Amino acid sequence: MAAKRILLVDDEDDIREVAQLSLEMVGGWEVIAANSGQEAIRRAAAERPDAILLDVMMPDMDGPTTFRNLQADPATQGIPVLLLTAKVRTADRERFSELGVAGVLSKPFDPLTLAREIADVLGWDV
Amino acid sequence: MTAAPDVLVAGLPESTVDWLGRRLPGAKIAAAHESPAAADALAGSSWSLLVLDAGLPGLPAMDLLRHARTLPTAESVPVIYCARGRPDARESQALVSRLAVDHILLHPIDPEELLRCMAAMLGMTPEKEPAPAADSRTQLSAAVTGLWERFRGTVLGRVDAVEDAAIALLEGRLDEELRRHATREAHKLAGSVGTFGFAEGSRIAREIEGMLEGSAPLGQGEALRLSELAVALRAELERPHAQREVPAPAAAEEDDRPLLLVVDDDAELVERLSMEASGRDLRVESVAGIREARRAVARRRPDVVLLSLSSGEGADDGLAFLEQLADGSPPVPAVVLTEQTTFTDRVEVARRGGRGFLQKPVPPARVVDTLQQVLQRSAAGETKILAVDDDPQILAAIRALLEGRGLRVSTLDDPLQFWETLERTAPDLLMLDVDMPHLSGIELCRVVRNDPRWSGLPILFLTARVDAQTVERVFSAGADDYVSKPFVGPELVTRINNRLDRIHLHRTLAETDPLTGVANRRRSEEVISHFLRLASRQQKPLSVAVIDLDLFKQVNDRHGHAVGDEVLQRMAKLLLRAFRAEDVVARWGGEEFVIGMFGMDKGDGVQRLTQVLARTAEEEFEGAEGARFAVTFSAGIAEFPADGADLASLYRAADAALYQAKAGGRNRVCAAGWGEGEDHATESVDVLLVEDDSALAGLLMHALDTRGYRTHWLQDGQAAVDALLGASPALRARVVLLDVDLPGMDGMGVLRTLDREQVLQRTRVVMLTARSNETETLKTLETGAFDHVAKPFSIPVLLQRIRRALEGEPSA
Repeated sequence: MAAKRILLVDDEDDIREVAQLSLEMVGGWEVIAANSGQEAIRRAAAERPDAILLDVMMPDMDGPTTFRNLQADPATQGIPVLLLTAKVRTADRERFSELGVAGVLSKPFDPLTLAREIADVLGWDV
Repeated sequence: MTAAPDVLVAGLPESTVDWLGRRLPGAKIAAAHESPAAADALAGSSWSLLVLDAGLPGLPAMDLLRHARTLPTAESVPVIYCARGRPDARESQALVSRLAVDHILLHPIDPEELLRCMAAMLGMTPEKEPAPAADSRTQLSAAVTGLWERFRGTVLGRVDAVEDAAIALLEGRLDEELRRHATREAHKLAGSVGTFGFAEGSRIAREIEGMLEGSAPLGQGEALRLSELAVALRAELERPHAQREVPAPAAAEEDDRPLLLVVDDDAELVERLSMEASGRDLRVESVAGIREARRAVARRRPDVVLLSLSSGEGADDGLAFLEQLADGSPPVPAVVLTEQTTFTDRVEVARRGGRGFLQKPVPPARVVDTLQQVLQRSAAGETKILAVDDDPQILAAIRALLEGRGLRVSTLDDPLQFWETLERTAPDLLMLDVDMPHLSGIELCRVVRNDPRWSGLPILFLTARVDAQTVERVFSAGADDYVSKPFVGPELVTRINNRLDRIHLHRTLAETDPLTGVANRRRSEEVISHFLRLASRQQKPLSVAVIDLDLFKQVNDRHGHAVGDEVLQRMAKLLLRAFRAEDVVARWGGEEFVIGMFGMDKGDGVQRLTQVLARTAEEEFEGAEGARFAVTFSAGIAEFPADGADLASLYRAADAALYQAKAGGRNRVCAAGWGEGEDHATESVDVLLVEDDSALAGLLMHALDTRGYRTHWLQDGQAAVDALLGASPALRARVVLLDVDLPGMDGMGVLRTLDREQVLQRTRVVMLTARSNETETLKTLETGAFDHVAKPFSIPVLLQRIRRALEGEPSA
């Protein structure tokens, strides 16, 4: 079975690189990285990843908006999306969940366990 | 058979305690997470070993330990103490002698080291790590650490934004935009630093975000709290990295070029400078103001600073910063850049330790020239080594072996005083013993490696054991190399050399002539080749001189080789004194010296060497049976590009000129291409400055040169007299600026000689004295000085006096 491919979207270089390392080294997955919502939409349509990990707070196009765009495109609407957020308020997190995403993960994350958390949500093996 | 030993671990995370239990299955390990529980446990039964973390919640850990020592059950329990921060000598001493702590470990705790230490104290052997997954986890931790090093600057920049907001709020000028920006940065910090292992940092950032969020007005109470939080956040992020379980692999693109910090808010100038500097082997970091500059220096010590000073409110701050750089240990050399009219008091700069001075507008190439000269000068300093070993005999052996090879050795036999000694001595290389009582070299090494200021320090271990496990411990703590004890002299020296070479210290053992301490042939060839590249790029002259002592064989034959060696050593000292620090003086073998002079044509070179020859002839040597004798030399000089385009052809041309000098009767200097017996022309200058304070001289020469005066600078009174006297003097000057306190011959002596030899009929002398002293003033004027200026003076005043001296001068 081919390795899972996951699209990672974050505008902050440091976080994107740590997450990428973590998903590759611990999860053993193939990672496609994007640093904006626009790029994420383009690459999701072109490369059809198995899942998308999407940061909430990004300039220009934020995570929820990106998610709605992905949902609107038949080519990408079936791909499960996990939001990654530094917001801690329950109200915020509930609002995100109600969008219809597969899961909401917290920032800061532990690079040693991030892959496991994602796998748990998606029912993947690590 | 004895029962399994009982170990109490107080204050370490449950996961660590579990892990220790798995690795030491023969011990019964109990955990306490607060001091009351720990105190009860200690009072309730007696333990084989106590592991106590300074961060144990409740009563301070040291107080708990003090209490434990009064309990019959715990008065003599062996203790491993996990210290936070860096215990200074007093604290360490208190732990060891008053509280009988057996071993101190430093945060962040390396669990493997803790385990090893516990096993050694319990006399047990730890089990092998069972989990195969550990490998990728360890690798990931190392990789995350590597990423943190890369992004640290960016992250700390976000803290800057928070600090700016805190300061603005304190000063009552926090506007909406700054507040929004800071909120956003705090949010990013909250969401990211925890990932790099700074959970507490995320918590603090979250609290800051909470305060700044929204638009509710903030009062003074909030302002104070916010600034406290900002300080705490920075401290947290600057702590040694918490997740680092193995040292980060050396980055492949490790950049060891000297780091230049530019402090200037003129973006265009900074841009042009950066381009110039990066083409010339300098790394550049730039900041716009003094406050950022202080931060940048604290983060990573630059090798040289270019500081733009302007008049007005920032000036004092700039001068204070300059002073701080000069007082640092080690001091950071700084070059100052100012606008012509707004900041005239350059003397102030020299007094605060500024090493160079430039006036805007100035071409970037010129700035970089100056910076490189300053760098070369500071790199020429002695190489310092700090050796730490609890065995004073080893230290004495190291000292005996390394001193006298151009290395300065500091030794320390008490590891508890390590931090103070490290800060004080600021070594270029650190040698550590692996096993020392109370605080091991491994622990010290790990923490040094985690400190950004010392992370580049080469570390060499001395170890009595070289088994695979010890070697692995040494390297995983971040050592660069190890040498086994008992060490063999040459091996140790080679290992040290390798380390020093790696960081490109200019003055390594391999580059120094062992007899005389000047550069050896290899080193000088490198330097002169570098000069050649600079000279052709900048279209500047470069001269190479070959000096050969006259009739040196006779000296050896008559007085023995020991006396011959002394002659060579004194000759080398004389040459080092006579040439600028940016020139290279080398011994190429036997009695032959080679000198590379950048920016000097052969006329300058002949003049300089002729002075040196005069000084050499004055040196008196004592030979066999007390016989006194003097030596002379012959020299040949060639100039790039007229006499040769590369080092080999320049050397050939200079050597041919040397042959001419020998053939002409020795004791003379000849230039390539000049006819035999032809006298060199006298150099005419407007102003000759005779001043031994090179900082002040640098300022004055710059001021004079930029105003179009022809100038010459000498540092020695005798050299000035030699240059100015005689029927065909090397120098003719319209005005001499003469310092009173001079080496060689003092200013009054020079003045009297010039008067006696009737030089004052064609040259006016302006005396520079240390203070206004009426008797002295009168004396100089009576002796024939034209004018007199008391230090400290302002440059414009001195320039005005020089103009006066040049006007209506006596006919030459």
